[in-house]
Amino acid sequence: MLKQYPTLRYILQRGGWYFITFVVAVAINFYLPRLGSNNPVKIIMGNTSQGLSSEAVKEKEEKYLKEFGLVKVKNGKIVRNEDGSPVKASILEQFISYVGMCFKGDLGTSFQKYPKKVLDVIKDAVPWTIALQLPTILFGWIVGNVLGALAAYKRGIFDRVFFPVSLLLSSLPFFVFGMLLVYQFAVVWDCFPAMGGYAGDLIPTFSWTFFSSAAYHYVLPFFSIFLIAAGGQAIGMRSMGIYELGTDYIKYAKWLGLKETRIIAYLFRNAMLPQLTGLALSLGTMIGGALITEMIFSYPGLGMAMLTAIQNNNYPMIQGCTLLITVCVLIANFTVDILIGFLDPRVKAGLQIGKGN
Amino acid sequence: MNRNFKFKGLIAGALLCGLIGCGGGEKKASTTKESDAGSPFPRSKTLYLAGSQWGDPTTFNPMADIWASTWPVGKGAFNLVYEPLLSFNALDGKFEPCLGTLVSKSGDEIVIDINPEAKWSDGQKVTSADVKFINEIGRRFKDAPTAINAEYFTEIKVEKVQNNGVETERLTFVVEKKVRNNPLIVLDHITQTRIYPAHVWEKALADNGNDLSAVQKIQVDGSAVVSGPYKTEAATNEKIVLKRRDDYWGNKALFGGKMPAPEFIIHPIFKSNDAFAIALQKGELDGSQTFIPRIWMKQKDGVKTWFDQAPYFLAGALPIFVMNTTKAPTNDKNFRRAMAAAINYNDVKELAVSGYSPDIQPGLIMAGIGMEGKYFNADDAKQFGVSYDPALAKKILADAGYKSVYKADGTLDYMTDKKGTKLPTLFIKSPAGWSDWEAIVTIAVKGLRAAGIDAREGFVDASLYWPARGSGDFDILLTKPDNAVLPSTPWSRFFQVMTSSTWRPIGQNMNENYGRYNNPKSKEFNPMVEKLLKEIPTISDPAKLAEAYRALNKIFMMEQPAIPLAYLPEQFYEFSESRWTGWPTAANPYAPPLLPWVGASTKILWQLQLAK
Amino acid sequence: MKQFLSLFKSPMFVIGFSLFIGTLLLALLGPLVFNITTERVGVQYAPPSGKYWFGCDDLGRDYVSLLIKGLQASLYVGFLAGIIATTLGTLLGIYGGFKGGLVDDIINMVTNLFIVIPSIVIIILISASFSEGRSLTLIAVIIGMTAWTWSARAVRAQSSALKSKDHISLAKMNGANTFAVITLHILPYLASYVFMVFILQVATGILTEAAISMIGLGPLDTVSLGTILNQAKNNGALSDGIWWAFMPATVIITIVVFALYLINTSAEGVFNPRLRK
Repeated sequence: MLKQYPTLRYILQRGGWYFITFVVAVAINFYLPRLGSNNPVKIIMGNTSQGLSSEAVKEKEEKYLKEFGLVKVKNGKIVRNEDGSPVKASILEQFISYVGMCFKGDLGTSFQKYPKKVLDVIKDAVPWTIALQLPTILFGWIVGNVLGALAAYKRGIFDRVFFPVSLLLSSLPFFVFGMLLVYQFAVVWDCFPAMGGYAGDLIPTFSWTFFSSAAYHYVLPFFSIFLIAAGGQAIGMRSMGIYELGTDYIKYAKWLGLKETRIIAYLFRNAMLPQLTGLALSLGTMIGGALITEMIFSYPGLGMAMLTAIQNNNYPMIQGCTLLITVCVLIANFTVDILIGFLDPRVKAGLQIGKGN
Repeated sequence: MNRNFKFKGLIAGALLCGLIGCGGGEKKASTTKESDAGSPFPRSKTLYLAGSQWGDPTTFNPMADIWASTWPVGKGAFNLVYEPLLSFNALDGKFEPCLGTLVSKSGDEIVIDINPEAKWSDGQKVTSADVKFINEIGRRFKDAPTAINAEYFTEIKVEKVQNNGVETERLTFVVEKKVRNNPLIVLDHITQTRIYPAHVWEKALADNGNDLSAVQKIQVDGSAVVSGPYKTEAATNEKIVLKRRDDYWGNKALFGGKMPAPEFIIHPIFKSNDAFAIALQKGELDGSQTFIPRIWMKQKDGVKTWFDQAPYFLAGALPIFVMNTTKAPTNDKNFRRAMAAAINYNDVKELAVSGYSPDIQPGLIMAGIGMEGKYFNADDAKQFGVSYDPALAKKILADAGYKSVYKADGTLDYMTDKKGTKLPTLFIKSPAGWSDWEAIVTIAVKGLRAAGIDAREGFVDASLYWPARGSGDFDILLTKPDNAVLPSTPWSRFFQVMTSSTWRPIGQNMNENYGRYNNPKSKEFNPMVEKLLKEIPTISDPAKLAEAYRALNKIFMMEQPAIPLAYLPEQFYEFSESRWTGWPTAANPYAPPLLPWVGASTKILWQLQLAK
Repeated sequence: MKQFLSLFKSPMFVIGFSLFIGTLLLALLGPLVFNITTERVGVQYAPPSGKYWFGCDDLGRDYVSLLIKGLQASLYVGFLAGIIATTLGTLLGIYGGFKGGLVDDIINMVTNLFIVIPSIVIIILISASFSEGRSLTLIAVIIGMTAWTWSARAVRAQSSALKSKDHISLAKMNGANTFAVITLHILPYLASYVFMVFILQVATGILTEAAISMIGLGPLDTVSLGTILNQAKNNGALSDGIWWAFMPATVIITIVVFALYLINTSAEGVFNPRLRK
């Protein structure tokens, strides 16, 4: 029956594979942090057992182990070994209870920020990360591709100057670039703020003052990523553009006397496809990619939260963040796959003839 | 050519963002003093302090576990929101009044009068019931954060007395004599334990079926019942905001009717060390307590410290190397003394801590510093202690039979002991990412290897460091035994390094004496150490006290269970005078060099004035 | 082989290649020319002078020595990570593209899995389990194991386009097994492409190592260009205007990566005649 709707079948097929990937990814992300020998309760206790007697320490430790679901519990009491030490819950048990909690919408309580809930932490931080990364990546992509196509088309002096400059820009490590921007613009010239997402004396509200302050604080971090991203995209697009310009169909279109803008439209559409894949990848990993920028600019966002969570083996927080990343990457890739399916006539043709790819 | 327009449009858009921001009421701090219009926390009424809160705010519940709560309710002796009975001034060793006033102290009793004017924000008076609640909670809940208090006193007697015609509650802390017998620790607790309203928290316990963990999870905000000069106003992942309580009882009772100058105190939460330095320079931060190297380079921007020349900070804490005394070769005191002689302390001072330490002396007493300086004996130090002397280090090693084996290119390969057995490389464990600590270890390793001792840096993630420290899983460990100058200093430092009273083998957790020195079950057990440690808190005669410290320090120098590295300050007290002036300094020491959220330095808030 | 020699005809390639060889020589022969020492030779952050061209770091060590050692380490990490990533990516990409169908879908899924797991998680976890902590090799291996995904994608696209070519079908009809077809027929075609992928992977490896070290997750006992930058950041060199703490390292990284990018772009031009103009 599905054979009659090749597009639908394509989407379902792809979707199916992505779903399997999702499940496996969640399982791996769950298992990985628990590989380490260091369980998070030990880390918390190491920091706080000052001033407590040893029985109190043991009691506290067991209380946390129970609360974080790391030991077997029967009828509300901890199951013990013969020597009195608690029996560790198996990873499978922990996984099952975790999945159960997720479906209820509870991503767990952050160990480190006890008793804050993981969902709250992520909810507060994610908008900033997205605000920083999404426009920057998109603009960088658009501007870079536009400039690259321009360079491919025009060649000449513009290309000779533009090409090495953008190549150099994309070779700069972006974090040093950020640091240099801070130094030059915020310390020496003092015309932009050095850190923070918004002015030190404001609380996030829906007010003009807040938004203008946030915009002001946005400029330096934006440029530190944007310029280098644009440079990278421009290079790629330039190569693709030059390649396409030399193809037969372009030559044919020129000889046919088609309007220049038409030709460039075709050029763009075909050169765009591989770039789209790259865009999907960038968007997907944008959650994790902001980490260093957030560190340099003390920008509120998920990056630092994730780093400290990983360093402290904060299982629920790590799982929450990686879940988010997984979802973003997979959705981005899935969307691009579908888009390419629609935009790339070769894929469409392949489907039509029945040879699924 | 619509692509050109697109491109230009995008650039224009980005610039527009910047312009909007520029025009929208943003402030340039250091040079101009514009109006505070439009800001909920006007700069001229706000004090910016940072350095105590590093992670996101979690809870302001005062009953929560220490590691889980947030400034200013959490882990230190903060007294902006809740207050202790007394404050300890490390400069002169006096106990300053807070919720109470010290009447007398002895080895058996500590008598304190509750200030009759002390009130909670809901109008009720602060009473003995409140003091008893938090101090005796350990008898009801073994895992409460202040549970340990109850082990050091048997009871708190309450009587009513007349002070100048005003009825006052007089508390007598009766020191527990049989097991602990330590009035110094009782005083420590009195100055660090903050008092919470019993009528609120007893009710919370009753409402939650007497379950402390449930009470600890209650979310607390600015409407909580407090006694201090400020209350919590707002908290985000970026900052914590406190607002002044104009009806604070202490304004009239302790400060002659004056109010603290800043209406708001904001603690920004920075994500990297550099941010503090930049913010101080730009005048966006008024006070900070992080390690900022080369702070003299920022003096021209108005950044000041306690002293305006080296060492810039007033010492109060002693970072040390603790050696694992249960395994070779660090179980040999000669080896340990050789190590102490191999480290270039001058390099540590200059390169690792930016010159913030005076020259150090051997021994666990900080020579010339504060109240403990008088216990330092120069003759003993010369006779029994070791300072940086690479030749001496090599001699001690040779005399004890250790040989250093070198590779063909002249670098150190390994060591052997007097029996010829090859010794393993010793790793100095320290948390990765703490730049001044890393520098100390690197410099120490250089000196040790130059003297032929096979040691290496063993940096680990901070999350691995804490458990390793408690369980004794290290060869050498960098740690700081004291974090604050307390009534029990310097006894508490000796206790932290040398006590056998809580001795447990490697693998089980210990909170002091991480190096397992002086195993009570071993043949070399030295009972004098424990005897002195038990005696000192009870000695009141100054001459006998000096003798006892001298004896204890002598044992330390001869046995060298740990190596002192530098005299660092209790807090890196640095502040900016571009907005607020009136900070205490060595020239004007009206309060100790601490930021005004703790102890005897809270009074700074009443002395600050806006800069002209 | 001939196509590789024709690379030298492009001036861009020559520039990039010489730059890169220059840095390689500096890393390999530097210790013979300069006196490499990690001892303290000056005061903290001594400014550049005639004796110490790039001044001293926060522990008074000569920056020229540190930079050369850092360059060695960064190049090592870049190459090792590049080799691992390229090998993995190429093998998986060719196999998946060539076989198509279920095999391709499975390899796609594995690729997606590796994209999804952030490399930071893996680095911290693995370094916590190894008692020796993070070494250069460990970091290179981890970077290689997480960076191969995009080269797998790229190679796969090329490989699946190739498989419909006539000579491949001929080989298959002649009964050659998959392995033979891949090594004898597809790989030579893709050799130039794989070369470019390798160059880019090395560049990525160097940049990634610098980024990881900047956060503080770099190698614990060795100097690399990234750890030099991390030190500069942690010691507040930026706010004090101590440019010699971070500029030289940045410039070196940029030059190396720039050289690699030049090689890559010029190779693109040579191998693909339509790009040449």
